[in-house]
Amino acid sequence: MGFNITYSRFRYYFAVAAGKLASFILQRILKSSASAMPGKVAMTIYPDILKVVNQRCQGKILITGTNGKTTTNNLINFILRREYPSVLSNLRGANMPQGLVSAFLHDQKKNYDWGIFEVDEGSFQDVTKDIKPDYVLVTNFFRDQLDRYGEIEKAFQDILKALEPLDTTLILNADDPLVSNFRKLHKKNIYYGVTRNQYSTFEQGIVESRFCPACSNYLEYSYYNYGQLGGYQCPDCGFKNPPYDYQITEVNYQDHQYHFQFKEKDQKTQDISFAYEGIYNVYNCCAALSTALEIGLPLDKVARSIEEFEYHLGRMENFEFSDKIVKIALVKNPIGLSETISSIILDERPKSMLFVLNDNPADGRDVSWIWDAEVEKTVNISDIHKIYCSGRRAEDIALRLKYAGVPVELVEVNDDMDQAIEKVLKDDVEIVYLLPTYTAVFQARELVLARLEGTGKKMSHVREYLKNLKIPGR
Amino acid sequence: MELKIYHMYPDLLNLYGDLGNVTSLRQRCVWRGINVEIVGFSMNNEAPLEDGDLFFIGGGSDRGQNIVYSHLLNYSREMESLIEDGAPVLAICGGYQLLGEKYIDAEGNDVPGLGIFDYHTRSEEGRLIGNIIIKNSLGLSPETLVGFENHGGRTYHEHQPLGQVMVGYGNNGKDQEEGMVYQNCIGTYLHGPILPKNPHLADYLILKAMERKYGLKELSKLDDDREFSAHDKVLQLYAP
Ligand SMILES: [Zn+2]
Repeated sequence: MGFNITYSRFRYYFAVAAGKLASFILQRILKSSASAMPGKVAMTIYPDILKVVNQRCQGKILITGTNGKTTTNNLINFILRREYPSVLSNLRGANMPQGLVSAFLHDQKKNYDWGIFEVDEGSFQDVTKDIKPDYVLVTNFFRDQLDRYGEIEKAFQDILKALEPLDTTLILNADDPLVSNFRKLHKKNIYYGVTRNQYSTFEQGIVESRFCPACSNYLEYSYYNYGQLGGYQCPDCGFKNPPYDYQITEVNYQDHQYHFQFKEKDQKTQDISFAYEGIYNVYNCCAALSTALEIGLPLDKVARSIEEFEYHLGRMENFEFSDKIVKIALVKNPIGLSETISSIILDERPKSMLFVLNDNPADGRDVSWIWDAEVEKTVNISDIHKIYCSGRRAEDIALRLKYAGVPVELVEVNDDMDQAIEKVLKDDVEIVYLLPTYTAVFQARELVLARLEGTGKKMSHVREYLKNLKIPGR
Repeated sequence: MELKIYHMYPDLLNLYGDLGNVTSLRQRCVWRGINVEIVGFSMNNEAPLEDGDLFFIGGGSDRGQNIVYSHLLNYSREMESLIEDGAPVLAICGGYQLLGEKYIDAEGNDVPGLGIFDYHTRSEEGRLIGNIIIKNSLGLSPETLVGFENHGGRTYHEHQPLGQVMVGYGNNGKDQEEGMVYQNCIGTYLHGPILPKNPHLADYLILKAMERKYGLKELSKLDDDREFSAHDKVLQLYAP
């Protein structure tokens, strides 16, 4: 037995060393930004490494769901890191087991106050074998890369099964019937949501489930905030939004900011502004606020953190050039794309847009999802100079825009992203919206940054190649 | 001139961008000055089927498909006589399977289909997923149809296929055939969605509908640059 422990410890150190070496090569030599590869290397050698992570984190929060995981994770981190000296997190969105391990290899402390991880829906079962969370936050369920998961219902069932044996508090989006359905586990449930507001609609184009998760009859909606998120009620079995523990009301968009009121269980309220657009970000704020308050942080402090939050990781980053602002917003599924377009409609500045549509495995090889998004709303965007389409499937998004009723002359196809970015930056506009899919987001960010810093094109192609390299996992 | 396009069960059968097929049909009619009414036929809107000029049936989740199977069964004779009468129908994936005799699920249970055609579909190990390119049997130019397939069921039949598989799996991954054609009814596994990137197939369906209703023999030409550059991109990336 003594031999086994020594052997196992040796394996552990060897795994960490190998992972760190991989990380060193990627970051220092190839200047690669985000990668799950060091984690893959370490897990191949020492498959139990996540158990070590579990032991070293005192409190653990897992964030799962389709959209908003990375943003919510970054928000919670921003808030908690002001109160706790050591927090471990996979902030860059590498959300499979090897991504969590990579984050750990990166700084490897003996102890963490908190481990906060976003977890891919498809990896949730795997991750919770080793990581035992105190809180599980579920944002929403939308269609995302269906060729990988089969169906939303399957994602729900998988997570349900994984949650069943866990002793944990669930923080649930009350406005998504698919999420609030976790109530049937009878865990300790905390519900958050956004009340009906001036941006709510009474008809919704894309609704993932019009059916009651409890009894399969038609759900009735009194309003939609986005997707199937809204006020719902089943006329048959009475399934409806559970009462909120935390809620956001009085949502208003003004001067490129969202303003809203956050209300606690005891009716204490706080006015908050948030600088990133989209009603989906209001939900992300609500999720982060609820989590922070639930673990006992004071409302005024948490609210200040939300207002001071700045994003630096390419998911919805702002880059300020001397003559224009470039906003990068990841789009990866129908709801996300629809809501991003909705938020651009609120921006009245002269603008150009650049879509980058890739069909690499991590994007989902099937690009048909762009036809499930409400791209038709693009015609409501004001003062638009040009829409560029780029990426491996540039022609597909250009075609989508044609069928959405966008004039063909307004749309320019250039499947070289570098050239497309060069062009859009020369447009005489105040703001550029850059909307890349997953595998394009980091490359797009580097190409924009390179121009901001005036250093020309970096090694992003090498990195792109590395990202698609396959190393066997466990 | 007006076409009534029946979108069958838009709330239950709407996978993988299939809504784009209806968008394609509608826009290509509108651009030619043909008025279009889209009718969403479903459990809460049982519009008379004989009023339809063109029918689209998409695919759905297993749950969605089960609900549709049992509901549409009440209309199978009507559907059948429409097809015999030459009404154009495009049925994709689950919709295609639905027109056959039965679907044999992973546990070996028979799920009844409408039985309009004598084929069956069997759930077999592993899903058939990926870009697909076929050579069409309708005599359309260009010869290729491009799309993306994603199905667990394998369909076996002796009917005319929609095309021969050049890249991908098709009906069952074995006989190199894809889809089925009978009169003006087309069944296929091609998502993508199929029609926007294959405007020649979209126009084939529209023309069949216009012919049946108004005796029209040809459609005015449209500028299909964008359509075919998306079509050609798939060939460029995935053709052998
Ligand atoms: Zn119900």
